[in-house]
Amino acid sequence: MAIENKKGWISWFNPIKYGFDRWLFAMHRFTGIVIGLYLMAHVFETSNILRGPLTWNNVMVFLDWPFGIHFGPYILSALLLVVVFHALNGLRLTIVENGLMLVRPYRPEYPYKPKSLAGWNFALKIVLGILMIVISVFGIVYIFTGVIL
Amino acid sequence: MELVLKGFGEVVKTVTFRVRRYDPEKKEMPKYMEYKVPVQRGMTVLDGVLYIKEHLDPSLAARYSCRMGICGSCAMIINGKERLACQTQILELNKDLIKVDPLGNYDTVKDLVPDLNKLFKNHESVKPYIVREEAEPYGEYIQLPEEREKYALFTECIMCGACLSACPTMATDDLYLGPQALAQAYRYIADSRDAGFNERLNLLDSKHGVWRCHFAGACSEVCPKGVDPALAIQLLRGVLSKNVFIKYKQNPAKLGPERASIKEVL
Amino acid sequence: MRESKIMLLQYLTGLFILVLGTFHMLLLSVLAPTSNKVLYQYASTNHTLIGGTLYYSTVTAIYHTLLWGSIFELLLTFLVFHIFNGFRIILSEQFPGAKAEKVITYSMLILGLVIFIWGSRTIVLMLLQGGI
Ligand code: SF4
Ligand code: FES
Repeated sequence: MAIENKKGWISWFNPIKYGFDRWLFAMHRFTGIVIGLYLMAHVFETSNILRGPLTWNNVMVFLDWPFGIHFGPYILSALLLVVVFHALNGLRLTIVENGLMLVRPYRPEYPYKPKSLAGWNFALKIVLGILMIVISVFGIVYIFTGVIL
Repeated sequence: MELVLKGFGEVVKTVTFRVRRYDPEKKEMPKYMEYKVPVQRGMTVLDGVLYIKEHLDPSLAARYSCRMGICGSCAMIINGKERLACQTQILELNKDLIKVDPLGNYDTVKDLVPDLNKLFKNHESVKPYIVREEAEPYGEYIQLPEEREKYALFTECIMCGACLSACPTMATDDLYLGPQALAQAYRYIADSRDAGFNERLNLLDSKHGVWRCHFAGACSEVCPKGVDPALAIQLLRGVLSKNVFIKYKQNPAKLGPERASIKEVL
Repeated sequence: MRESKIMLLQYLTGLFILVLGTFHMLLLSVLAPTSNKVLYQYASTNHTLIGGTLYYSTVTAIYHTLLWGSIFELLLTFLVFHIFNGFRIILSEQFPGAKAEKVITYSMLILGLVIFIWGSRTIVLMLLQGGI
């Protein structure tokens, strides 16, 4: 009797041996789930606007100071990072998963470094990564200080 | 001659092999067992496994055949990464502890032997051969070298199954076709002699077909032959997404001159 | 529907969300219809909101604008499709099989509709209050 040896979803988050792209995959999926759950909460949260100014303002203050400490900016910053990552990586995936900006089939040569992950795909990762850092810095500074750089 | 053989057969160091053992006849969960293996220069992990089998524990099972990276029988997870055991030098790993597991995402038959049925079944299901409408030809289909370049990379696959073990989708979804089968599907679709796109379309475009790839690139990262299945899958997806707007048309290559010799044989 | 068409919609909605979502973010900062553009403006003595982008009257003013209302509605539509199709994919990879597939597809459809209706209700009622 053979036994099952499935690796399971936990293996997504152990991608040390497989290089950078598998990290991106794991993070893309994770951030997607986070954003999805957030949307549900957000739709519920914003529907409070129909219940009048008092309720709305109380909800807003509660979400900014959830348990007596000023936690709102941290939540918002984390959310911003998650959203920016998912958006920019998603942009790259939209391009690359439709077979654009990839190398043509080539002759494999030892030590067999896969070229599909290099080239333009890699350049995209760098450019969008820098963009992600820039946007996050602007956003987080704004969230914490209210200063628009 | 003396110079070349210097140091040959000398034990350089001793490493510990931690091997995942599973015996289907005993009702036990898989467990790890450790073996001390003296390493000579040039010894591969497969040699190490065979050393264990010969000297330490004859009950250890592993699958291998060519010992030179051609047959694709000996893929294992070595120190957490899928590799061909016969192509991995123990000294190059540079570790004192070598962890050897059977390929994941397959059933394990015994010890280091995975049940590769899934791989072969999926490979077969994408029709890995040239599909033509006409009857068997008595000659070759004409193909230019540039046309061959379009798929030559993907013919390199030795069906070792390492890519399916590394694939994160395969880790949960066992109905997924897997990188190997999808790369082979693209290899035949991109072949200028082939006319079987529509026959393969239903399977490729299904719920567990090509769109369940998320370009994690792990298959390409571990492929011992540099086949780059991830590239094939993305190119295949490019074909499929264009096919939504403009129906993809194949122009199957023309038949060359008939050959009397082929006629005779048939 | 063919999987390739669904995935095409997934990519397209993703791109639209990228554009509309940017506006949504800008609305909270640069485009905010307030004088000082901060998210929260508290009274100096205690935790009561007295202004800022998230203050009741600012938010209602935004909701009452037809342009923002329609942007929100579009964004909601695309998001609901993108997210629940994403959930469907993740779940069907986690629980492969014909029967599970059906359960997942329909439950995601229903959940998506609920969220969509709930969100649209806020947007439409606020627009109506604004006198449109
Ligand atoms: S594509 Fe590479 S890793 Fe996958 S089966 Fe073929 S040779 Fe092995
Ligand atoms: S034994 Fe043939 S590939 Fe390793």
